[in-house]
Amino acid sequence: MSRHAGGGFDRPGFRLLTTGLLLAAALGAIAVLDQQIEVFGFGDIGPDARSFPRVVLWLLAAVLALRLILNLRSPDTPLGSPVRLGRVLAVLACTAAALWLMPRFGFFIGAAGAGIVVALVLGEKRPLPMILPVLIAAIVAYGGRHGLGIPLP
Amino acid sequence: MLQDAFLELLNLWVLVAALVGIVAGIIIGAIPGLGPTMAIALLIPVTFTMEPIPAIILLLGVYQGAIFGGSISAVLLNLPGTPSSAATAIDGFAMARRGEGGRALRFALYASVFGNIFSCLVLMALAEPLARFALDFGPAEMAMLMFFALLVIVLFGGGSKLDALIMVLVGTCASIVGLDPISGTPRFTFGTFDFENGFQLIPVLIGLFAMSEVLLQAFNREPLVGDATVPPLQSSAVRLIELWRMRVTLLVSSVIGTFVGILPGIGSTVPAFMSYNLARSRAKDADQFGMGAPEGVAAPEAANNAVTGGALVPTLALGIPGDAVTAVILGAFMLHGLAPGPFLFRDHGLEVYAIFEALLLSSIPTVILGLLFFRVAIHVTRIQPRHLLPAIAILAIFGAFSVNNSLFDVWVMLGAGVLGFLFRRAGFPVPPLLIGLILGAPFEQSLRQALLTSGGGYGIFVGSPITIGLVALIVLSLTISLILGRRKART
Repeated sequence: MSRHAGGGFDRPGFRLLTTGLLLAAALGAIAVLDQQIEVFGFGDIGPDARSFPRVVLWLLAAVLALRLILNLRSPDTPLGSPVRLGRVLAVLACTAAALWLMPRFGFFIGAAGAGIVVALVLGEKRPLPMILPVLIAAIVAYGGRHGLGIPLP
Repeated sequence: MLQDAFLELLNLWVLVAALVGIVAGIIIGAIPGLGPTMAIALLIPVTFTMEPIPAIILLLGVYQGAIFGGSISAVLLNLPGTPSSAATAIDGFAMARRGEGGRALRFALYASVFGNIFSCLVLMALAEPLARFALDFGPAEMAMLMFFALLVIVLFGGGSKLDALIMVLVGTCASIVGLDPISGTPRFTFGTFDFENGFQLIPVLIGLFAMSEVLLQAFNREPLVGDATVPPLQSSAVRLIELWRMRVTLLVSSVIGTFVGILPGIGSTVPAFMSYNLARSRAKDADQFGMGAPEGVAAPEAANNAVTGGALVPTLALGIPGDAVTAVILGAFMLHGLAPGPFLFRDHGLEVYAIFEALLLSSIPTVILGLLFFRVAIHVTRIQPRHLLPAIAILAIFGAFSVNNSLFDVWVMLGAGVLGFLFRRAGFPVPPLLIGLILGAPFEQSLRQALLTSGGGYGIFVGSPITIGLVALIVLSLTISLILGRRKART
């Protein structure tokens, strides 16, 4: 949150959200560091597999904490209306669904579906231009499989 | 070597690759928001089945074409296709408004080619000696060099140093995931095999630059170009004498672009504006700058194209990318078995020199295709996001999958897309993250190898003339940054 001219606090913005998320991730990684990195000591002198990650994560957490404090004094990028964020979430949800379904229904169906949802989210209203993502997905699927020899799902 | 490398270029596929790359680059670069980084990242899968030389030439053609393409929308619509074209827009758009858009684009094209040729010659002259010198580097020297590169990105990358530091550290943290470079212990793999290879560069790149653009457009939902009208393009020509009169500007701008390009993380925007300001301060008719001075177009264009060759010097000789685009090119080199670094010239000298010569010779088709295609590219800028971005989303999914034929990489791409969206909305710079990701693992490896060699003693980092020189450079960089910061605070 940043203090606005009127003396109150604005809604948290993108900077605060991103910094907060990164700080939470860095602290989480520090908390699970010993579990996630096993060290087998053979009497080596010098840093082990945990040393570098520990230093970098603590440094990152410290720098993010400083950024968070400085953010409180400076104006933030507004999060925008729920509708705008909803559009981003819709693209993410449809892409995630397409990836999840791809092993079962194949690349073409998944990619074309994701492309159509992206077009709709970006404001496409006419049915005819919806053919475009389908066409592109078909070209990419055919070209990838037969031209480049990539075993697409 | 040079002659053998030239013979490698006498191949139809090399010519086709260069031409296709340049045309694709001009068209993609002209679309605001789609820079060379995204274009190259999405086109890498197309090159999988190609031989290394035509594959890299195609991608470098896209790079060259896209930088000129970026100046088309900058000059005609006042909408820079790439950030480095913002300086070109100042005088270019002023020229276009008085009906000299075609002339401005010709100046931009010729200056681009001049900058490119100059920087290619510097690249050919410097890269191999630098790589040969780097063959003497041990782990301590490599660790200090990479630390210096990361420090330069933080100190001189532009914008907030704290934000750049955060991004470098985020990239370095991401590089930790996978197997430990010394002991092979899994780190932050959460018990899955997929994480053992760590985050692959290409899916992360595609996510950060392509998928995040889709998400940003879904958030903003604004036309790329809006209702801006293209000023009429009258047929015009640029005479040789006009270019001769600005020879010093072209040369100085190319020198700035090349040598700033060699410094990691600065990119092409800073040298473009530096050259513009220098050209204005040197000009007899400085008051014409901003009102449509041809030198105001030529100076930034020569500089931002000269960055290409400059940025490739540390990328190819040391494996340290100069900016986001060269990070993508580094990824492409690695995918084709040409691992950048000191051994590149020793093991693949023929291929590398063939690529250098192609980069130099491609100036000729760049001029021809630039003149032919800038009118076509104007229409491309009119493409609506709702038509373009579904294609980018599909290509992003395909590109991420095709690197290892793995859906896991596509999930990584999507995750990187979300992070890219958040970082770009929040104003955090993305290129330092990328360079942190690339340099993080080799930096840790060199650091630990050096400490293992010295038995844990830190004296090894000041134990040779090379490391002492690098420490001196680090101290010098910190001092310069401090002085510049104080001067900025005063003004």
